[in-house]
Amino acid sequence: MPRAYVIVGASLAGATAAITLREEGADGTVTLIGAEHEPPYERPPLSKAYLRGEVPFDKALVRPSAFYAEHGIETVFGTRATRIDPSARLVELEDHRRVPFDALLIATGGRNRRVSIPGGDLEGIYGLRTVQDADRIRKEMVAGRRVVVVGMGFIGSEVAASLRQKGLDVVAIDPSKTPLFRVLGEAVGQTIADLHRAHGVRTIFEDTVARFEGTRRVASVVTKGGLRLECDFVVVGIGIEPAVDMLGDSGIHLDNGVVVDEHCRTNVSGIHAAGDVANHYHPLFDRQMRVEHWHNAVKQGAAAARNMLGKPVVYDEVHWFWSDQYDANLQYAGFHTKWEQLVVRGRLDSDSYLACYVNDGRIDAVVGLNRAKDVRRVMPLIKARRAVDLEQLRDEGVDLRTLHASP
Amino acid sequence: MAAEFVTAVKTSEIPTDGITAIDVRGTRVAVANVGGTYYAFADACTHEQCSLAEEGELAGTTVTCTCHGSEFDVRTGKVLAPPATLPVKVYPVRVAGDALQIEV
Ligand SMILES: Cc1cc2nc3c(=O)[nH]c(=O)nc-3n(C[C@H](O)[C@H](O)[C@H](O)COP(=O)(O)OP(=O)(O)OC[C@H]3O[C@@H](n4cnc5c(N)ncnc54)[C@H](O)[C@@H]3O)c2cc1C
Ligand code: FES
Repeated sequence: MPRAYVIVGASLAGATAAITLREEGADGTVTLIGAEHEPPYERPPLSKAYLRGEVPFDKALVRPSAFYAEHGIETVFGTRATRIDPSARLVELEDHRRVPFDALLIATGGRNRRVSIPGGDLEGIYGLRTVQDADRIRKEMVAGRRVVVVGMGFIGSEVAASLRQKGLDVVAIDPSKTPLFRVLGEAVGQTIADLHRAHGVRTIFEDTVARFEGTRRVASVVTKGGLRLECDFVVVGIGIEPAVDMLGDSGIHLDNGVVVDEHCRTNVSGIHAAGDVANHYHPLFDRQMRVEHWHNAVKQGAAAARNMLGKPVVYDEVHWFWSDQYDANLQYAGFHTKWEQLVVRGRLDSDSYLACYVNDGRIDAVVGLNRAKDVRRVMPLIKARRAVDLEQLRDEGVDLRTLHASP
Repeated sequence: MAAEFVTAVKTSEIPTDGITAIDVRGTRVAVANVGGTYYAFADACTHEQCSLAEEGELAGTTVTCTCHGSEFDVRTGKVLAPPATLPVKVYPVRVAGDALQIEV
């Protein structure tokens, strides 16, 4: 019987799900609803090549804009969904339209956390999540201008790099000891701090913003440590929060996003979630987790679509992401929160190393700087959830693929 | 210049299940050896131009560009996984004695 497949959130996870539904022969309508006006696009270029003006927006589209109509995907762009009624099986839109569904995917991703810092609503203070945000920052990007980057997570670090590459004067501030401290820890984070300093970023760690000052527009950032940083504009990258406003009274279980099982299913039958918004059960690690990675949005979006079609696939991908900063390619795979040992191949103080986060002799996660192939070769070892020979792991002479072969 | 087969490399120089970059009349071509069968394609990922010989990981007839994970079928150049959306150009090859010839 033809069914109505509805997807709320038209970005990477949502678009991938819509495409997968059609590729897998969905019998019925596929409707992709998104608050943004643009067809689904990739966000990674927004802090990198697109921000630097090296590629046009078209290059960032997930599919050419004509694709959706050509493939029988109805699109409702520029329209926010405001409510979900699970018993009537309806999605309500801000223009009061009601869209009935048989199977629903929530792929609403995240939105930037707001700063509740005095002066935070002055002009010239930007977040970065959408292409509009990127365009606003681009207008400010003139060589020689002074910018303060608040937060040295992935987005902050990439923006700092791109702005340096365009010749701006960059000061970066973060409350932790290093960039990416929460994910990568101090030893690895330090190497990223060094990378930025080597490219001329002034870094300030273990200090936070007390207030922004200026009359109409931001003119300086004052830190709790008492520094005053004069600037022409500010970019804030302090993380995202899952976009779940429309789900308030839906009965869908919410906890750090939309809680789903390994089949991308929520507690409400027929309603699924994928991408940055989904706090999913991961069988490999036997726990719930929510990640904000491009790869997860693609793979989980596809897995959710298959589950919506009644093909029960378990989503158990080893999570993986990259971050390009200057000429460096940083990659991470797996999942860890703490670690007993950090096993390093190569040297952390060089421009190419691999570092594994090890617990009970098993690799939970790996990070590599300019070691893309090695990161990929470690992924099967993470997936195997078995102890590995740490001496061999450390030894550059040992091919990581042979490590995989040993029982 | 019309496309023609050019002797590019000795087959023995391309390791089994590996990818080697060679210069064929000024064009950088990647040659994959899949269990004794050779495939030639442009040595630049269509996503952000990483070298597939350097950054590519070959498994069967699939090459993964490890820079950001795009996958291509080395036989056809077809994209098997994003972020790349455009196929890589493939070149016909033939083996003549111990030489590999590529049509560029
Ligand atoms: C600047 C930037 C750079 C990045 N770089 C990298 C990188 O290098 N590597 C990497 O692995 N990851 C990177 N990421 C992360 C990656 O882009 C995200 O993980 C990915 O976009 C998640 O996709 P998603 O579809 O789950 O959610 P999102 O991309 O957040 O999309 C959700 C969509 O849903 C819409 N929406 C929300 N609520 C509603 C509603 N009520 N009704 C209708 N629509 C709604 C939103 O408008 C949005 O379009 C980057 C992210 C950013 C912002
Ligand atoms: S350059 Fe190959 S995947 Fe990006």
